[in-house]
Amino acid sequence: MEGMGTREQQVKHRQAHGRAIIAAVIAIGTGGAALAAATPASAPVAPAATARPAGRLPGYSADRNAYFGDLHVHTGLSFDAYIFNVRATPDDAYRFAKGDTIGHASGFNIRRSGGPLDFTAVTDHSEYMGGMREANDPSRPLSKSPLVQGLFSPDPKAIRAAFDKVVALSHAGQMPKEFSAPDVAGRAWTDVKAAAARNNDPGRFTTFVGYEFTSAPDGRNLHRNVIFRTAKVPTLPYTSTMSANPEDLWRTMDGWRAKGIDVLAIPHNSNGSDGLMFEPTKRDGTPMDRAYAELRMRNEPLAEITQIKGTSEVHPSLSPNDEWANFEIMERYIGGNKPVTKFKGSYVREALKDGILMRETKGFNPFKFGFIGSSDTHNAAPGSVEERNFFSKVGRSDGTPAQRGSIPPGGARTWPADTPDSAHATGPYQAWGASGLAGVWAEENSREAIFAALRRKETFATSGPRIRVRFFAGYDLPDDLAKHTNLVHEAYAKGVPMGSDLKPSPSQGKGAGKAPKFLIWGVRDPNSGYLQRAQVVKGWVENGVAKEQVFDVACSDKLALNKTTWRCPDNGASVNLTTCEPEPFKGDVELRTLWTDPTFKPKQRAFYYLRVLENPSCRWSTWDAIRNGTPPNPTLAKTVMERAWSSPIWYEPKA
Amino acid sequence: MTFLRRVAREPLAHFLVVGALLFGGLSIVKATQRPTVTLDAQDLNQLATYWEVQMQRPPNKVELAGIIRDRIDEELLAREALRLGLDKGDMIIRRRLAQKVAFATDDTAEVAEPTDKALREYYAKTSDHYAAPARVAFQQVFFSGDRPHGGAQKAAAQAIGRAEEGGREDPTGDPFLFPLAYDDVSIADLLRDYGPAFVKTLETAPVGSWQGPVLSPYGWHIVKVTTRHQAASVAFEAVRDQVREAYLTERRAEANAAFLRTLRKRYRVVVAGVPEN
Repeated sequence: MEGMGTREQQVKHRQAHGRAIIAAVIAIGTGGAALAAATPASAPVAPAATARPAGRLPGYSADRNAYFGDLHVHTGLSFDAYIFNVRATPDDAYRFAKGDTIGHASGFNIRRSGGPLDFTAVTDHSEYMGGMREANDPSRPLSKSPLVQGLFSPDPKAIRAAFDKVVALSHAGQMPKEFSAPDVAGRAWTDVKAAAARNNDPGRFTTFVGYEFTSAPDGRNLHRNVIFRTAKVPTLPYTSTMSANPEDLWRTMDGWRAKGIDVLAIPHNSNGSDGLMFEPTKRDGTPMDRAYAELRMRNEPLAEITQIKGTSEVHPSLSPNDEWANFEIMERYIGGNKPVTKFKGSYVREALKDGILMRETKGFNPFKFGFIGSSDTHNAAPGSVEERNFFSKVGRSDGTPAQRGSIPPGGARTWPADTPDSAHATGPYQAWGASGLAGVWAEENSREAIFAALRRKETFATSGPRIRVRFFAGYDLPDDLAKHTNLVHEAYAKGVPMGSDLKPSPSQGKGAGKAPKFLIWGVRDPNSGYLQRAQVVKGWVENGVAKEQVFDVACSDKLALNKTTWRCPDNGASVNLTTCEPEPFKGDVELRTLWTDPTFKPKQRAFYYLRVLENPSCRWSTWDAIRNGTPPNPTLAKTVMERAWSSPIWYEPKA
Repeated sequence: MTFLRRVAREPLAHFLVVGALLFGGLSIVKATQRPTVTLDAQDLNQLATYWEVQMQRPPNKVELAGIIRDRIDEELLAREALRLGLDKGDMIIRRRLAQKVAFATDDTAEVAEPTDKALREYYAKTSDHYAAPARVAFQQVFFSGDRPHGGAQKAAAQAIGRAEEGGREDPTGDPFLFPLAYDDVSIADLLRDYGPAFVKTLETAPVGSWQGPVLSPYGWHIVKVTTRHQAASVAFEAVRDQVREAYLTERRAEANAAFLRTLRKRYRVVVAGVPEN
């Protein structure tokens, strides 16, 4: 609510009220057809919350609270969302995040069934931002552009053609320049800023001004979201039409920061980059150097590792010894159907390994990032990643089960024998997952506290549920710490939290060469399943090679951990595929333990992150099938194991 | 000659001559009275100001002449468009005209400054809009639902029993990932994180003593509420400006609705052949 004095509120009310009557008048003049004005007629009159208290906000906790949000959200201001028939505004997106009902492009209402989110950033594509809205408004000059002919249609085939056309022109640098005109972008950017200001409510709900930098050389995805700390933002976004090279974006961000505009960028969908997101060289092919690594890490402390278009933690071909690597894997180009062939450079675990190896051999690490998840909704529906309540993410193109391949085609009751699998299906939607939420540990729900958590990487990702995970490392954590009631306070005092560096223990004297201990803690989401196991993923450098191992460290149901294989026994949890009811009395409310790395070598550089798995539950496509009374698509996974990932902790031995 | 003289005496001829003179005269008058495009000093000033806002400097003589020529051209084209009826059936023009009337009535239907009494009455009706959310400070002891054989509930009951017998030490339980002591948290947040049964206890438990056991999705708890702020309505004085703004907004909306009702009475509305009123 910064800068929202009484006078401005009056103006706001007045404008809203003016718009309301205009909408009414227009509706009378035209029978309401085709003119549903962009602004809802029922402008909220609810008074602003009582003034922000001095000092701490309600809910403040020195030991930090988990807050959940979505930092990747598109509205009708994005060129593609508009083409997908999405007309929802940034205000609609914030309303949805707070638990309100909004309309879907296909004509039904949508609402989160879990609780409201704690924070959200609307991140529309900066390229041609607001352009399609104006191109479809006869009173705007942009509507006279020859490109507009046939661009807007409710027919999914025509939508696909229009989307492909704009993307092709864009990649070729041939979009008519009036779509990037500063006045067009300026009107959209003003809307983005105003909606963030209107909906920011410290202590209850935090908004961030943001946008997506949509670079994709040769269709290989280098997208990243740019998030601003406060309402102080540049006049206009720096877009990929100015440069497709992320290094130019980072240098621009450095320039903004010098002017007091704090900002960070979060890359996403490395899975669709065909090896480009974490390539081992600079964009122009020259070798990386320390300056490059510092530029990158100063601007990109985090990566979005899971979202609706797949999860980018790990690929089964890269980590054959990780039995849980095959989670919502998406193997196509973003916005296209081309298959991805290079998995190295596309997944974050491999990048973290490459990073510590580079640190070891070259002295710098360009891939030292923490984790978040987010939805990438194009329906202005932050947090719409609930398996049971999933309507996918690209408006009129995948709004129905038939469109997303979860029920048999043509109204049939059974699946044809030649039902194509995800690699051969005509659309990409059946391979998309209901996944992606961002978690942060922050003292209170405010822009300052949450941005600080993002900056220090005290963040985690989940596949949708509000699973809370704590992860600390230290040499002096008491062995019975997991039984202490004030363990978090002690862990902060004697260890380091997720996202931090763990310095080497003293090289001589008492405690020399001690192995680090890790506090592991996961608590279930009451609206989701019970927890099955907690795992530590370790990557390390050994004889000039980066290696990895997945350790189960805490088992549910009082099962005994096998410390030779580092695997929990199967807890036998299952789910009834005709009702989606889980088998009762399987899994735990929480998993908590203190774990010491048995393979620790003081001179081996390493990283560790926590992964907590739920019992299996129905995938969204199975829920769709049950509601339709037909069998689930035989080519798709029937169940998923929802999960949470902490940001890594890096063990940094002396060089 | 006689013929001419005779003609000259004919009343019909007089009529024709007078008619011709009148026609010629009127044509001349008409030609001199073509519709006029006028730009007065005020218009010129405004044009120059617009230009200056755009360009950040005043126009020079040549530029000024250009501005004036463009403005006249625009006027001529607009008038020609009106003469040809091009304004009829145009959505953008209709929308713009409707906007102008809407804004005009918005400004003219000035709502009187409400009296203090009116505001207080309005506040009384809508005071729940200004309620400060219910907040609570409490301590809790947690007994994990993962304890085997219903052990959590039993342990919680024992702990509350000891507390009721006046045990001097604070009871202890299992570690909990949520805070064990909240200094100031809104009921809405607790409802989301713990569910309704837990929240009901916090809303009703006596202040200052251990209460429970109460069930949450995580296990059993005993709780001690230290302070509680009900969802008390905020005093009128504290939110007077907001009340006034909401009051005026509602009055304006009513005035506009009334205006549209009057308009509706003035017209017959027929939609798809069916009269609406």
